Amino acid sequence: MLTEITLGQYYPGESVVHHLDPRTKILGVLFYMVMVFLANSPLSYGLLIAFLIAATALAKLPPGLLLKSIKPLWIIILLTLVLHFFTDPGEVLWHWKVFTITKEGIIMGIKMSLRLVLLLLVSSLMTFTTSPIVLTDGIESLLRPFKRVGVPAHELAMMMTIALRFIPTLLEETDRIMKAQMSRGADFSSGNIVQRAKNLLPILIPLFISSFRRADELALAMEARCYHGGEGRTRMHELVYQKRDGAAAFILVLLFAVLVFLRWGMPA
Amino acid sequence: MEPIIEARHLSHTYVDGQNQEMTALKDINLSIMPGEFIAIIGTNGSGKSTLARHFNALLTPTEGKCLVGGLDTSVEANLWPVRQTVGMVFQNPDNQIVAAIVEEDVAFGLENIGVPGPEIRPRVEAALETVGMTAYAKHAPHRLSGGQKQRIAIAGVLALEPKCIVFDEPTAMLDPKGRKDIVETVLKLNKEKQITIIYITHKMEEAILADRIIAMNQGHIEMEGTPKEVFTQVDRIRKLGLECPLAAEVANALQKGGHKLPPILTHEELCQALCPSK
Repeated sequence: MLTEITLGQYYPGESVVHHLDPRTKILGVLFYMVMVFLANSPLSYGLLIAFLIAATALAKLPPGLLLKSIKPLWIIILLTLVLHFFTDPGEVLWHWKVFTITKEGIIMGIKMSLRLVLLLLVSSLMTFTTSPIVLTDGIESLLRPFKRVGVPAHELAMMMTIALRFIPTLLEETDRIMKAQMSRGADFSSGNIVQRAKNLLPILIPLFISSFRRADELALAMEARCYHGGEGRTRMHELVYQKRDGAAAFILVLLFAVLVFLRWGMPA
Repeated sequence: MEPIIEARHLSHTYVDGQNQEMTALKDINLSIMPGEFIAIIGTNGSGKSTLARHFNALLTPTEGKCLVGGLDTSVEANLWPVRQTVGMVFQNPDNQIVAAIVEEDVAFGLENIGVPGPEIRPRVEAALETVGMTAYAKHAPHRLSGGQKQRIAIAGVLALEPKCIVFDEPTAMLDPKGRKDIVETVLKLNKEKQITIIYITHKMEEAILADRIIAMNQGHIEMEGTPKEVFTQVDRIRKLGLECPLAAEVANALQKGGHKLPPILTHEELCQALCPSK
């Protein structure tokens, strides 16, 4: 039952967006985030939203899928909206006892929550269209230049790879330990929160012990296969930028130029 | 011919948790020739795994020498050539697969020794082909059966094109089907690719397939010889806490009862000896 959990939220597909280089997508998402904070007019927000819709359509994702990613954070989004409504000073629209709603508050609230939603959606678009393994390759490749200033790029990527490899294995093991403890009379489904947390101990301890044992054996096996860190290591799949990456970059830069023009270029 | 692996007065002592000095191996002398298939048997704690780990410099002798292809494993500079010469497959298939995709895992060793990217793929494909797992190249390892995972682990070692592979109880955690697949793969590597095999096992039906058997006991080599030479000494094998193949035991009991029989290891040989008409 536990092993049925899928990792991350990758939605397999063969679209252009799926096939973009992971580095393009990571940098593109960061760039888009900058643009979200650059936008200050309804038109620029409209452009950003249009870009997102177009990219989602291009990735052939079911429309509802992306919206679901807002769900875990909807309280924060709502809170942002409401707090701005009631706290921002400005032209008073409505007043009752200590509660005051201002025009500026409404505009600011909508703007801020829209920004949050856009940030969420664009990063989800990336994780929906990029498998965690490919994403790891992208991160490693992007961090490599920072090795000189002490960023352990290879080590981070290796840790992520091993984590991705072993999460299903450890889930399977958790399942097995749970069943073993249940057959000895352990009870995981009753009592209050403190009680339940305590009941998890007989699962966690064997799981920890076996993880350490696994780590030990894996380290030995890696050493036996000549692993000695990232020094002098090559890769089977070297990431190579394609024409489509250039096209994506061009579209993003164009969008950026338009947003800059809308913000500073237009006469007030 | 030069031996591929040579142990000269090899001893290994270590300090255990209670600060006690333990002797895992004492004064081992052994020569393994290229292309040989050697089985190492012995009870738990007899030192067979410890010995095997000396063959690719995961451990180094505390006394004496271990030479692999003429290179001393104790010399730091020889570490990577030694590990490329002698590969190792471990017991638990889960704990030796590093990557989340089969072909990436097979490529792991090649990436480590710095083989250029374009040369990696053909070698990965060849290795998967040899173990018959080509169809699973893009699969996630955790979805495969134990025997399949173990074959992936073998492919990962094979991709490095070692001259010798050490198998440390590769079938101990597998079902009968997986066990059969692995034994067949090992035999194929030995006969077709002329790879030297050192095969540690508890299972005597697997050990009798070897050219030579080494029986270990308390850190030293107790018996050494062809499967026939070793397993016809049923009483000595029992004294080591091991069991002979069933056919050898039956033959031994019959011989004690006064029947004249040739040395026997397998069921077929036993049938042939008892009922020669067939």
